[in-house]
Parts: sequence; structure tokens; C-alpha cells
Amino acid sequence: MSGTFPGRGPAVGVGLRSVHYPHLVTRPKTAVRWFEAISENYMDTEGRPLEVLLTVRRDYPVALHGVSLSVGGVEGPRPGYLERLKRLADRVDPWIVTDHLCFTGAHASNAHDLLPLPYTEEAVERVSDGVARAQDALRRPIALENVSSYLTYRESTMTEWEFLVAVARRAGCGILLDVNNAFVSASNHGFAAEDYLDAVPPELVKQLHLGGYTDMGDFLFDTHSRAPTEPVWALFRRAAARFPAAPVLVEWDEEVPAWPELEAQAVKAAALWEEADALRA
Amino acid sequence: MPSGLEALQRRFVAAIVEGDEAFAAEVTGGGKLTPAGAVGVYRRAYPARLTEALGETFERVWRVLGDEDFFATCAAFVPTRRSASYNLSDYGRDFPEFLESRAELAHAPFLGDLARLEWTFKELFHAADNAGLPAAELARSASSGCRLVFGEATALLALGHRVHAIWRRDLADDSPLEPEVWRGREDLFLHKKDGLVYSRPLTPSEAAALAALRAGRPLDEALAGAEGLDAGTVSSLFHDLAESGAVIAVRT
Repeated sequence: MSGTFPGRGPAVGVGLRSVHYPHLVTRPKTAVRWFEAISENYMDTEGRPLEVLLTVRRDYPVALHGVSLSVGGVEGPRPGYLERLKRLADRVDPWIVTDHLCFTGAHASNAHDLLPLPYTEEAVERVSDGVARAQDALRRPIALENVSSYLTYRESTMTEWEFLVAVARRAGCGILLDVNNAFVSASNHGFAAEDYLDAVPPELVKQLHLGGYTDMGDFLFDTHSRAPTEPVWALFRRAAARFPAAPVLVEWDEEVPAWPELEAQAVKAAALWEEADALRA
Repeated sequence: MPSGLEALQRRFVAAIVEGDEAFAAEVTGGGKLTPAGAVGVYRRAYPARLTEALGETFERVWRVLGDEDFFATCAAFVPTRRSASYNLSDYGRDFPEFLESRAELAHAPFLGDLARLEWTFKELFHAADNAGLPAAELARSASSGCRLVFGEATALLALGHRVHAIWRRDLADDSPLEPEVWRGREDLFLHKKDGLVYSRPLTPSEAAALAALRAGRPLDEALAGAEGLDAGTVSSLFHDLAESGAVIAVRT
């Protein structure tokens, strides 16, 4: 597979989380159409996590979603990282490989965080080089996700969405548009999330993410610890109408609920996608 | 001279890891955050992530110490050990030695060994199963001068304290760990089979024989060098070894 989801209709998936392994290995019937696995959780293991992932893969399309490519890092990927990711991708044959438009620290000091980049021409170049290196190593196209941020750099010379689109066009990669992250950053930095979505060309968007944030009072924090909020669902309706070809993923990383509750969020997303599709027709 | 982007990234990382406050001048805070407050969001997330990683690997140590002491220990450890791996679960390799170095934990000197056992378990959990010789083939191939080759998913631990029972006990069991529970040394053999990690306490003579075998010594020499090994013990040890699938080859 190579960056295109197999099948039509509301393709809503969820993140593969260890708390659901016992349920999923029974191969239950579910409305969920695909799964997303965090690449790093499976790159260095031959144990049960990989066994479950390969079991799930027998029945469903799987996306590999990384958090450590550090595509905007000036030092490039850590030694061995791309080789291990390629080995995993070759075993899983994901429908898409994605990571984040960010850097994650320095080789000697990994911050293990999705650190925002300045929106500058130099950063566009840096990321483009990183994408080329990754795509060459993996022999697959990748897509990059917009991250939530809590600060902006004084030296930035373009908006976040201008930066995102410039990177995708220059690097020749796709965009994983996280609707929640767009909302969080819009709220934190005082722009309209609708403007963000409207500025992204549909043909660049390969996947949508949905998740939940936490209102910290002073700012919105991207915790992925709850269901999407109503403003995010509202923004998703807009995204579903604008990016009909993009499969959707419900992300829930902290305080992960029981399977039925997570599945219900996927069903809700599929219903909203259907509504948007009906309006398009 | 570093590029603008390189310098910016270095300073951001320094702000997160070392608390470089000057970096805040480069940014505007989101929401109602001041620049320093915004940098602080990332700075606080850093030790939280590393502490979470330690908690996942050293779950039993956490249980024994309790939340307050475990988090205080992590707060002391994290500033002294950076993470250079892309994989968070690689963090904490020398946490056992750190635990043993802490004066405030002197009342629980077994914690380092408990952590060592937890780290070894994690390593084996993620290892591939040994491609072990079938028991019948091992029995057929083994001769007095042969050398056994062990798979990578095996470990022999020589510990200064008896921690196996503490490691295996129910997480909900918070009965006091009196010195008689952990005092005294302990040898353990761990291996992985069919996706599961198994552990077996060893007598000193069994441990000596296994250590010699794992070091590549010939079978007869390894057994002769282990004091107190009687025929019954040898038979039992070999039965367990054969069943474990830990031996992947026999060299004559």
C-alpha cells in the first residue's frame, strides 16, 4: 500500500492501544475500519505488542504513526531510526506512514515532545530535506501532521497553515490534518481554525485526526485524554466536507476508555462524515 | 557558526532540559501564557514523560516505594540522566545503580536488585523467542565435552538480595517487607518461550553450572566446577533447560 486508503465511504479508524489488546485479539466485529499504531511502540519489540499488531493487520488496514522522526530537527533522524521504521513498515505494510511536523530535541537530549518549528523559509528547507531522506529510506510516501503548540516564534514569517502547505508542496509529502490540533493552536494563538482548514488544498490531505484537549484555563492543552469537544466536532464537519477522500482517525492516548466508548466515537465520526457527504451530493 | 534554526533548536532544548530562561525572549506565549509560561509547558512535560517511562518499567519498585518516594526518586534521577534514544522505554538502564546510591533508600537495599530484575524482564519481554532445540534433540546431542549455546532471550541474574518473591507478589499486597523477606543473595534464570517470560530461582550450585555453560565451558567441566551438584539436581536442571527452549545449539 502507498498512501491511499483501500476502500470507500466513511473510513474511520482508532488508535491501537494496549488496553484493548485482549479484546482485539478475539477478532470482534466492529464498526472501526482501520487502526493506527504508534510506530515506536512496535519498532524495537518482537513481543506481544508486535504479535497483536500483526494479528490486527490480518483483518484491517493499519497506519504507522511515528512520534520520533524529528523531521525538522537539524541533526536529522537518530542513527538507525529509519532502518528500524522501514523494517517495521515492510512487515506491516501500512496503508500510510505518518509523523509530525516538528522536531523532538537533540540526539544527545531527546525531549520526547513534539516541539514546534519556526515558520520560516529555512525550516521549510530543513523539513523538505528530512522528508526526502525519510521517503528515500522507506521507499514510501509519508504524511506530516500539524502539531498543537503553546508558543510561537518571533522570527516566524508565515502563518502555520502557510508553513504546512509550503512544506507539503516543497517536500512532496502529504498532510495529516489534525482537526483538534488546528483548533487548539487557533485558540491558543488567536486565529480562526476555519481559515486554517480553508487554506489547505484538499489534494494534499491524506488523513484527518480527531482528539480531545484539556482546557487549562490559561491555554488549551492537547492531552488526547478525552473525547473530542463540541467545537472540534463542529470543525470536523467542515473538514469532512472539504476533505472527503481523507480517512479519519479518533485518537485517545491518555486515560483510554473501554472499547465500546472509543468505538462509539468512531461511529459518531462516521455519521458526521455521512452527513457531510449527503450535503456534498 | 550554527544556522538560525540550529541555534534556535539548541536553545529550546536547553530551555527544556536545563532551564535556560533566556530562550523565552524568542517566543510569544499562546493563550494567556507569558513567554516563560509557554516555555514552561514544554519544560514541565519533559520530566513527566521520563518519570512515566520509569514508572512503566519499574512498576514493582514504584509499588514498594509508594507514590511520594518513587516520584521524589525520579525527580532526583531525571536531571542527572538524559534520554538519547528515540524509544522512551530505553530510559532508566542505570536506575538500579542509582537506587543503590541513594542514602535515603538505605532502609530498602534490595531496591536496586528489584529494579535490575524488572529491567531484565522488560528486555526479555521485547526479545524474540529463543529458537530452542527440542528437548529430545538436546538430549540426543549433549555429550560430556559439548558446549551449549543459549538464545538471546535468556538471562542469568546474580542478585545480592532475594527479590523474586517481591517481584512476583500481587500488586495489591502491601504487607511490610521485613528484612527476612529480602535478606540473602539469590540467583535467577529467566527465559522467554511462546511469547512469555519465565523465571526460575536457582541454587548456588545450579547457578554456578549455568554461568559456566553460558560462558561456553564444556558440559563436563561446567558441572564439575559447580560444588554440591548431585545427579538428581543435574537431571532436574537439564530437564528444565530442555523444556525452556533456552538452548539453541549444541557444539561438540
